[in-house]
Amino acid sequence: MTAAENTDRSSFVLLQVGEQRFALPSEIVAELAPPVRLHTFPHTSALVAGVIVRRGHIVPVYDVAPTLLGQESPVHRFYLIAQRAFGKASEASAIPLNGECELATAEIQPPREGRPSYVSGTLEIGEETVELLNFEALVTHQSSESGDASHAEAQS
Amino acid sequence: MKIASQDAGKSRRARRSETVILFSVAHQTFAISADSVQEVRSTDSLAGAANEIEQPLLAKVRHTIERAHRKYYVVNACSHFNLPVTRPTLVLILRQLRAAVLVDKIERMAEINAVHALPRAFIGDERRWYRGLAYVEDHVIPVIEPAGFLTREEFQALDRITRAGESQREMEGAVQA
Repeated sequence: MTAAENTDRSSFVLLQVGEQRFALPSEIVAELAPPVRLHTFPHTSALVAGVIVRRGHIVPVYDVAPTLLGQESPVHRFYLIAQRAFGKASEASAIPLNGECELATAEIQPPREGRPSYVSGTLEIGEETVELLNFEALVTHQSSESGDASHAEAQS
Repeated sequence: MKIASQDAGKSRRARRSETVILFSVAHQTFAISADSVQEVRSTDSLAGAANEIEQPLLAKVRHTIERAHRKYYVVNACSHFNLPVTRPTLVLILRQLRAAVLVDKIERMAEINAVHALPRAFIGDERRWYRGLAYVEDHVIPVIEPAGFLTREEFQALDRITRAGESQREMEGAVQA
């Protein structure tokens, strides 16, 4: 395998959101956490459902199901803790999941035509095609679509 | 802080701890530094002292109250935080701002050891509303930034409106006399 091929074949965390599986680059995933209590308070940030406390730190929770599935999240069984980059800094961030995660290695293929900007590619995992997510784009995609003050009531 | 005109004793605080008042609005709990609250009054006790102001600019401000020759703009916390409207029973009169806040109830006082920065995921008005988040027992509670209730521009706009209203009333009074 050449160096160029090696960079394309990376490891990913496959996560279950609703009935679908998606992938995130494994290097941004820190851990899978149990479904601890979600703390909510009024705010106007789209996508942010609240915060959880994990290892003594306050971690924001992004509810990505409405964006990915077009509907509210199903029952949450786990939180996937991933690192979101903010310039040179990063922040632990949680995504509610309703299924366990799996580590997989695959080659990144281009995203299917017409897919949203937060889909950065596809992975062939066995007979399954899994969309690779760009976490930052997913978050900003949602924010730019519905980040207005009227969102506050739904977030409290 | 003074609760219903009774002087509260100064509490001894650990070096890095802070005394906060936990209050609720529409079933949401918030914390505000006790030092930033001058007085807590029932809405009933202030009914006679409140003046209604008509202005379309800020739906969250409908009244002013006079305390010690100072005019305070009364902010409805439900409206401020975009929460379902409730019937507030208490007014928190802030110490260093000309603002008072309508809330549902005071839950209790508490000591917090730290105010944690709001995660960067929060990018909206909450960055102005809150100083950060605090652990109170098993809960994560937003700690209010008192200056977030009304911006300087909002104070200026309200001042202009109330001055105009007062001038109009004075003129009407002069004409009637």
